[in-house]
Amino acid sequence: MTVIEINGLQKSYKTHRVLEDVTLKVEKGEIFGILGPNGAGKTTAVECMSGLRKPDGGTLRVLGLDPQTQRAELLQRIGTQLQEAALPDAIKVAEALRLYASFYDEPADWRALMDEWGLTEKRRARFGSLSGGWKQRLFIALALVGNPEVVFLDELTTGLDPAARRMTWGLIRDMRDRGVTVVLVTHFMDEAEALCDRIAIIDRGQVVHEGTPGELISKGHTNSLDDAYFALTERTVS
Amino acid sequence: MKGLGNVIAIELKLALRDPMAAFFALAFPAVILWMKMRNGGTLPSGLPIIEAVVPMLSVFVIGLASLVVLPATMAQYRERRVLKRLRATPASSTMIFGAQWAAHMLLAVVGTAVLAVIGVFAYNLQGPVDVPGMVLAWVLGALSLGAIGLLIGALVPSGRAATVVGLAVFFPMVFVSGAMSARETLPESMRSLGDWTPMAPAVQAVRAGWEGHAASPVTLAVMAGIFIVASAAALKAYRW
Repeated sequence: MTVIEINGLQKSYKTHRVLEDVTLKVEKGEIFGILGPNGAGKTTAVECMSGLRKPDGGTLRVLGLDPQTQRAELLQRIGTQLQEAALPDAIKVAEALRLYASFYDEPADWRALMDEWGLTEKRRARFGSLSGGWKQRLFIALALVGNPEVVFLDELTTGLDPAARRMTWGLIRDMRDRGVTVVLVTHFMDEAEALCDRIAIIDRGQVVHEGTPGELISKGHTNSLDDAYFALTERTVS
Repeated sequence: MKGLGNVIAIELKLALRDPMAAFFALAFPAVILWMKMRNGGTLPSGLPIIEAVVPMLSVFVIGLASLVVLPATMAQYRERRVLKRLRATPASSTMIFGAQWAAHMLLAVVGTAVLAVIGVFAYNLQGPVDVPGMVLAWVLGALSLGAIGLLIGALVPSGRAATVVGLAVFFPMVFVSGAMSARETLPESMRSLGDWTPMAPAVQAVRAGWEGHAASPVTLAVMAGIFIVASAAALKAYRW
């Protein structure tokens, strides 16, 4: 079943065209990776999908809904973790989960979620006092508190130490195993290779390659996704 | 409007946890009350001065909460992308606005209660005479000044700018509108200038209710008008 269907998506900021022509499909229950260099339009594409930005052209359906005209309905069914988003420093972990749960018609049990994601020991800690790894864990839990069918994760592990990254990967796999479709924006090749069922490489506002990590590696005639990425995008390491 | 009560409760807690907000809304007005009452006495009309100071400082508290603390909170939330994260949830901008306003007005209620308690125990405070009239005036004052605060919060570029703009609007206004010194003791020129500020009708109406005079319908209508215009403008100017 197709969960996200995008055809010829375009978006410009003033005169700068960020999305030239993005076409892709995401299937139910997969971890779909969006890879690409900085400024390639990854975040913009995801923000269009989650109803945060209005595309200039093309068609876009998430769970069969138009993110612009059916935004309210869509927001009840998706979860989002934004790049560099924050909570007020003084809010406590349990308060944030309860607050976010209250926005949804059919939320998950936030206490159970807090337990499952190992946040119970931090429930009285203020957001401002949490380390990067704990903040990310809380953001993942907040993205899941509405019981979403699709979750968008934008550069989830940027700034995390290796142990926290590994742990986060495990959490994302758990998410998929519960039947949630995950769209993961990243610029870490090892992360995409380890986690994603399928990957789209976006460059200069277009999907330049799409496939499973294995397909991309053999397409690039290389041994790793990292090498394949550079072979396929014809970029050299400077 | 789902979750509104929850958001208000959490925002109030956050405001009380913020040392600046708590100081401004609770301790600062109490210090001014003490300064005003050092000499005690009566106003020219024979009114014990405490019966003018507590109602006018209650408007001072509304002003602090709505013109200084509220815009700073909103601008900080925008700057730190707290609002952007909220936008990715089903919470509506009207709800976020409403909750911010309500939480800051509850902060002002707490500040007013502190003033009243000090007034009763330390300075033999008697009023208010007309409780419903005073409450109506207070709520309309909170609505009109709160809407102006939301508008400032929607327009300023950063949290720092919000504090500067908020204080620049607040301080001249409290001096000329009679929220800091009783209107009847102000020079005529200052009072006529103050009558043009949106704080003046609140001061007049709250004090009228406190003393048991009927508030003029014009002051009440002016406050309602300011609320409608400023809140519509704030919603229109709102950015996540």
